[in-house]
Amino acid sequence: MPDRRTLIDSRDNYDPRSLDPALSTDVPTGRAVSYVFDGLTRFTPQAQVVPDLATSWELSSDGVTYTFHLKHGVRFHDGTSFSAADVRHSWERVLDPKTRGGRGWPLYPIRGAKEFAAGTASSIAGLAVTNDSTIQITLTEPFAIFPKMLAMPATAIVPKHTPPDFGEHPIGTGPWKFVAWHHDDYLLFARNAEYHEGAPLADSLEARIIPELSTAEAEFEAGNVDVLQVPAQESPSWESNEETRPLLQSAPSLRLIYGAINTTRGPLKDARVRQAINLAVDRGMILKRLMGGRGTLAAGVIPPSLDGYNPALSAYPYDTARARALLKEAGYPNGIDIELWTSQSEQFPRIAQTIQAYLARVGIRVKLVQRDASSMREAARNGKTDIALKDWYADYPDAENFLYPLLHSANRGVGGNVSFFSDATFDSVVSKARREPDDQKRIALYREADSLAHVQAPMLFMFFYTELYAVQPWLKGFTVPSIFTGERWTSVKIVHPPKPIAR
Amino acid sequence: MTAYILRRLLLAIPTLFGVLVVTFLLLYVAPGDPVQEMVGERADSATIARLRKELRLDEPMLSQFTHYAGGILRGDLGTSYITRRPILSDVLERFPKTLLLAGTAMLFASITGILIGVLSAQRPDGWFDRLALGGAYLGISFPVYWVGLLLILLFAVTLHWLPPSGYGGFRHLILPALALGTRSVAFLARITRSAMLDVLNSDFVRTARAKGLSERAVVLKHGLRNALIPVITVLGLDFGYYLTGSILTETIFSWPGLGRYVVNAISRRDLPAIQGSVLFLSVIFVLVNLLTDLAYAKADKRVSL
Repeated sequence: MPDRRTLIDSRDNYDPRSLDPALSTDVPTGRAVSYVFDGLTRFTPQAQVVPDLATSWELSSDGVTYTFHLKHGVRFHDGTSFSAADVRHSWERVLDPKTRGGRGWPLYPIRGAKEFAAGTASSIAGLAVTNDSTIQITLTEPFAIFPKMLAMPATAIVPKHTPPDFGEHPIGTGPWKFVAWHHDDYLLFARNAEYHEGAPLADSLEARIIPELSTAEAEFEAGNVDVLQVPAQESPSWESNEETRPLLQSAPSLRLIYGAINTTRGPLKDARVRQAINLAVDRGMILKRLMGGRGTLAAGVIPPSLDGYNPALSAYPYDTARARALLKEAGYPNGIDIELWTSQSEQFPRIAQTIQAYLARVGIRVKLVQRDASSMREAARNGKTDIALKDWYADYPDAENFLYPLLHSANRGVGGNVSFFSDATFDSVVSKARREPDDQKRIALYREADSLAHVQAPMLFMFFYTELYAVQPWLKGFTVPSIFTGERWTSVKIVHPPKPIAR
Repeated sequence: MTAYILRRLLLAIPTLFGVLVVTFLLLYVAPGDPVQEMVGERADSATIARLRKELRLDEPMLSQFTHYAGGILRGDLGTSYITRRPILSDVLERFPKTLLLAGTAMLFASITGILIGVLSAQRPDGWFDRLALGGAYLGISFPVYWVGLLLILLFAVTLHWLPPSGYGGFRHLILPALALGTRSVAFLARITRSAMLDVLNSDFVRTARAKGLSERAVVLKHGLRNALIPVITVLGLDFGYYLTGSILTETIFSWPGLGRYVVNAISRRDLPAIQGSVLFLSVIFVLVNLLTDLAYAKADKRVSL
């Protein structure tokens, strides 16, 4: 028998903001929310979207009204029954200005949601509770991927009566019941024996909050935690070690690492200059040397695991001669001066330095600006960066979640488009894709948009990241998730006795 | 004595007000935006504008400051922008843990440091003294960060004697307290040694020896007691180091104290949380300084308050 029956996670590196779905704007919060709560749909570890509290749904022929059929007999952890009215309550709560959550946008496609959020309507016009197990959702326009957004932590379902300290004492319908939250230390959850998809195999789940990566590695080596997210720069040593290699598991993640090129600033307005930047940087070398080879080179913004990815679209090659020629053609034979902004996290500063060195070879003189994440985000959103080296994690598994926020002109600035890219053709293709009900047609539009992005080069396309986890040999059933809330630990258990624990 | 304490406490008020003003101004001019941290990676400008208005961030600086200072006067440190929890309860939850760590480290450092100092002063330039000097150089030079990681590797990963990190019983306390105290041990050993040498060479010690007191009594009763005054000064000054040094130590050892709270608050631009915890720490500093001065009076009868 194992010494402990609790599964222990080590991935959170800061305290969650809250355990309230309405406040889930960061990774630790979203992950904890996904344990305690359910949405109408949910993500699998492979980032597929499957029904959760909904059993099925129909879409009206005009593509705007969804009828969701909900599961019968589901109970919240406090024993009260779940019904369609809870769905309406939960979403009103997310949008309610008094909640101050800031995560209303997944529900904005619903008719009247924006008005409710602005305080100009007393209810959400597009939500109609037909009976206890049916809810009708009317959107402002057809938006075929809407069910995917209902698997996000922010749209999870909470019970009707939420006390003021709900964020500290959450009650949901999810696989794990909340037990305790020791701030900056750990969160503890217990198995929900009545979970509607079948109770979790393990008794309890502990999410430890470990800010320092080397400490998390030490905890893993001491056998005190069950999984470890191995950072890119550490992967060569984990992969070359005979003892640790068998413990490694990887999965492509929905994360793009890129340099947002501000298309409204100076020479960067010219697509040829932006293409030259893409041609001048040997991304393959950076991927291999600084990221432990953990990723796929990006030609556009759609990751290989999502529909709409076009394998025929190949990444910009490393071609300094062509880069120089393009700069000359654009009228900059003597090169240009730009600022490259980077945060201080992970490998970003080193990647930025390498980019600086590569760009210098074609005459692009780069001034590096290194700031903390918050300052850099503000500068990029205010259009003060030439290139901002950053990453983007998908909130839901769809190409739209890359094309629309990162490059559609409606999202310039705070919406996510810090390239300030504004291209009428691209906009119209993406907008059309969002409204297109037919999967195949929509995917074709995604491909078209991605090709346009590739040619216009509003970013320095870097790579799509591949997650690497170390998983203890005694852990069975764990799958490395492609999306951060994908693994809910329901079919994970400890099968071999771990080594004696010093704890 | 009571009048002295009261006067010192009254003098603390302008100090704390200064802290309040400086923190507020620094955060006001610092880049980064709390609202953008609240909404996360993807947002819309309507939500941002609404939140900014609700948090009064769109108001002029002076009006923001008077609103905030008004809250402080009423004893309200405010509510975190990010977590929406009251700052005071967050600070009070974490401070005892920081105090436990800092206190243990300080205790360990004082006992070890003073002992090494006294022993070194017995035979200046003897083998023990030289060894202690070498050790002290290393102890002062090693950053707490590095010492912490080494301790984890040795005692937790290799030897399995102690847990690598986390908060719990005494076993969890040992490694972070060692890491935090190391620099101080070295420092205190040097200070104690030189103070002891001064005292041991003074006239009254010669008199004490002359009247036939045992060496033990000379060193402990006459020597150490008088050598303690500079040591107390250093301990009082070092307390600041313990609190700031604990930020790194708490991070390496996943210790859920106030240091990490402040770091988190800064990285998320959680203005009330930063201001509240800085103000709280300032109050602690003022109190510690007062206690240090009171301790002088205890150790040295010539000091009258």
